[in-house]
Amino acid sequence: MGSLYSDDPTWLHAVPAGFKLAFLALLGTGVFLTSGLIALSASAAFCLLAFLSLGRAVTRAKPLLTGLVFASGLIGLFHIYMQQPVVGAISVLRLLSTTLMGIALTLTTRHTDLLNVFEWLLAPLRLVGVHPERLSLQVALMLRFTEHFFVLWRRLDDAHRLRTGKAGGFKILAPLTIQMLVAARRVADTLHVRFRR
Amino acid sequence: MNTSSLSIALVSLFAALIAVFGLIPKIDLPLGVPITLQTLGVMLAGCMLGPKRALQALLLFLAAVAIGLPLLSGGRGGIGVFFAPASGYLMGWPVGAFVAGWVMHMLPRATPRSAAISAFVASTLGGLLVVHMFGVIGLVNIANLTWEQAIMGTLVFVPGDLIKCALCATVVHTVARGLPDWRFGG
Repeated sequence: MGSLYSDDPTWLHAVPAGFKLAFLALLGTGVFLTSGLIALSASAAFCLLAFLSLGRAVTRAKPLLTGLVFASGLIGLFHIYMQQPVVGAISVLRLLSTTLMGIALTLTTRHTDLLNVFEWLLAPLRLVGVHPERLSLQVALMLRFTEHFFVLWRRLDDAHRLRTGKAGGFKILAPLTIQMLVAARRVADTLHVRFRR
Repeated sequence: MNTSSLSIALVSLFAALIAVFGLIPKIDLPLGVPITLQTLGVMLAGCMLGPKRALQALLLFLAAVAIGLPLLSGGRGGIGVFFAPASGYLMGWPVGAFVAGWVMHMLPRATPRSAAISAFVASTLGGLLVVHMFGVIGLVNIANLTWEQAIMGTLVFVPGDLIKCALCATVVHTVARGLPDWRFGG
């Protein structure tokens, strides 16, 4: 499965993943703590400039940007209709700042680097019996099975189409779930043999 | 069978199921309201896995989204989606799955019929009520809507979600007949 990460090198690729996440957390908190239009406009302008400075890499985020423009437009129009243009502007500026930086982080950070940061953040949970190192294994398993079950869904759909002449739709949900649960038991056995736990 | 291995497998597989539901094209209701299957995944995770594993499956799924994998319906992903107006719904998924699992665990599920009825109740409380509650909180805080406006906005999706609760109950009924030894609700 493809990631949203862009291989086109940008200046932001060189910044460590932990630093980018910390900046995003601070920015997200900051824009929600202030309601000043000047501060929010400055923040949105900074985020927009930083995002545009990524050059060709931003083309990969087209679907995400379309969603952002659509959501911003809807919120803005709704508040104008409700005669609260300032509230609308505050919401849209907050949304632009945080989402643009979130997309920039996604475009310029490998998911393995982010996983390492998450594992580091979750490390204290070892004290309560959580195993952060399993996160990578579980993400890998999840991706493997996403592809596997999508193929299975299409196979069940094709079989249903052959039998009835119609798409399977919701009718193949139950057989898909049963096959999945049976597969889960097989995978659990394999994991047990492999890791002895 | 070892519980730890089974947990890893089930958590990963249900996170994968929710991702698969995101790949399946959305279904549009006559009013133009889209139904995506991913909230059905939240309900199924709760009813099938029980509270703890369902919570883990949803957290794993959201972690995968956060690291940039395009797993949400429409190919969306990345940290940015957690700042969008609808992010309250996303935050509600793990809690909703946990509540659905807990309710399922508390209700009778000895026969396929009782399991299906319990699944309907559990998915309505966890997958519908809790998720929409978080969604409304998100709309109020991020889109700056009033509580009334946010509640009216979210009500549009309730008919579609009730259909999903019925679907979840149907799937649970079929699984209860196909895999009689399956422990619903953990």
